[in-house]
Amino acid sequence: MEGPGGPLILGIETSCDETAAALVTDEGEIRSSVVSSQAELHARYGGVVPEVASRRHLELVTPVIREALAEANASLEDVDRVAVTRGPGLIGALLVGLAAAKAVAWSRRLPLVPVDHLDGHVASLYLEPDPLEPPFLCLLASGGHTMLLDVRSYTERELLGSTLDDAAGEAFDKGARLLGLGYPGGREIDRLAGEGDASAYDFPVARVPGLDFSFSGLKTALLYAVRDLGEEELDARRADLAASFQHAIVRALVERVREAATQAGRDRIAIVGGVAANSALRAALPEATAAPLALCTDNAAMIASAARWTEAVPYPRYLALDAYASR
Amino acid sequence: MLTLAFDTATAVATSALVDGEEVLGERVSRAQTLLEDVDALLRQAGAHPTDVDRLAVGLGPGSFTGVRIGLAVARGLALSLGVPGSGVSTLAALAAGAPDALPVVDAKRREVFTLLRGEPRVLTPQELALTEGTLCVGDGARRYRTQLEERGAVVPPDDDERHLPRARFHAQLAGEPGSVDELEPLYLRVPDADRNVG
Ligand SMILES: [Zn+2]
Repeated sequence: MEGPGGPLILGIETSCDETAAALVTDEGEIRSSVVSSQAELHARYGGVVPEVASRRHLELVTPVIREALAEANASLEDVDRVAVTRGPGLIGALLVGLAAAKAVAWSRRLPLVPVDHLDGHVASLYLEPDPLEPPFLCLLASGGHTMLLDVRSYTERELLGSTLDDAAGEAFDKGARLLGLGYPGGREIDRLAGEGDASAYDFPVARVPGLDFSFSGLKTALLYAVRDLGEEELDARRADLAASFQHAIVRALVERVREAATQAGRDRIAIVGGVAANSALRAALPEATAAPLALCTDNAAMIASAARWTEAVPYPRYLALDAYASR
Repeated sequence: MLTLAFDTATAVATSALVDGEEVLGERVSRAQTLLEDVDALLRQAGAHPTDVDRLAVGLGPGSFTGVRIGLAVARGLALSLGVPGSGVSTLAALAAGAPDALPVVDAKRREVFTLLRGEPRVLTPQELALTEGTLCVGDGARRYRTQLEERGAVVPPDDDERHLPRARFHAQLAGEPGSVDELEPLYLRVPDADRNVG
């Protein structure tokens, strides 16, 4: 028996440091989306520690599913397929979610939908109440990825450019560490930058050929600026440094996004991923559709959303399915 | 009383379907394909997942990733089927399969997991308390065969099934089952990152 509103997709996401479960309808309505962030756990290390993350995922994976079911006022009886992130991500973390997802699907003879995490981020734009329709040019920027994707349809995308070194979110984290700010760095820099002057420092961002990005030089420039200041002066200039550093990242992203849109002949631009929550980036790209704030960082609603356009693997073919760390 | 038992803590994942005292089937593969084994065990027994009454799961110590895969499967099954489960030490299962033997599980980094006065411990192979003729079983015993044999220990041939923590013993050793969400892996080691953080 199906609950009111038809069958539900159970989404499970454990690729990095968020343990998440969600229930989404075939029409893209989010019935529940539970995200248990491990950010605080990893803050003391200044970044995600894979072994620590994997341990936490195991503790949280079934509680978040239970909570997602409770919030949606649903039971597993209402679920007609299980969607799970298969990769890319931390392999030990992915395997926890995949094992739990397989077990739930197997015990009910449900199909399993293995979802690529990147498709998940793009599919965060396809959810109600304001779904975007392809085609569009998409910037995916997070702690793990910085990519320009030409999204041609729900199932076809082409990678036009990506980072050659650090991801944009990683650059924010490293910058935050240099400035003595907390983790995750993006949020901290965004907050502090609001009090600073973005033109105080001119941080150069390397222009690399094509539509790729490079952020490692920027980190070095910040390092020198911090070192030149000394402790006391740093306190006074921290907000200016944060604002200028953020401005440099945002400028690099915005320039490349617009170039890519022109090259691909797309008149619509979308931004997804954790960095899409950055207020300066959102302000600098007023023409872009940004993923809803709650769906920028990793979540399972986007995984269930992507499952709407991903082929389901029927029982028992998914039982030996493996995760992948990268493509 | 149908018990589904499995252990994915070592390089070889074991599983068994046990009805009371009777072992209906036993299989061996890898952690990632555990559910393929479970599926085959049930089909051979003509059983459906909803026929399973309880789980018995190996908690390690062993491969961190391996133990987690087994426990994540157990948690998923318990959530979906509403069944209780028990955790069983991988070392205890090894010892049950080879009475009088010292269980030695490969802990990587030139260390092994073993039982010392009944307690799970991480030791170097040199630190194992061996006397002439001590029987050692497990993938750690296989790996450090030469070292252990030099010190008088007896290690069965590599293909001897006493080296495997066979899941029939998990079913046998399982205590009163409880909430599977409460079961925790026996890691015995803190994450590396915690060694450097105060
Ligand atoms: Zn992500």
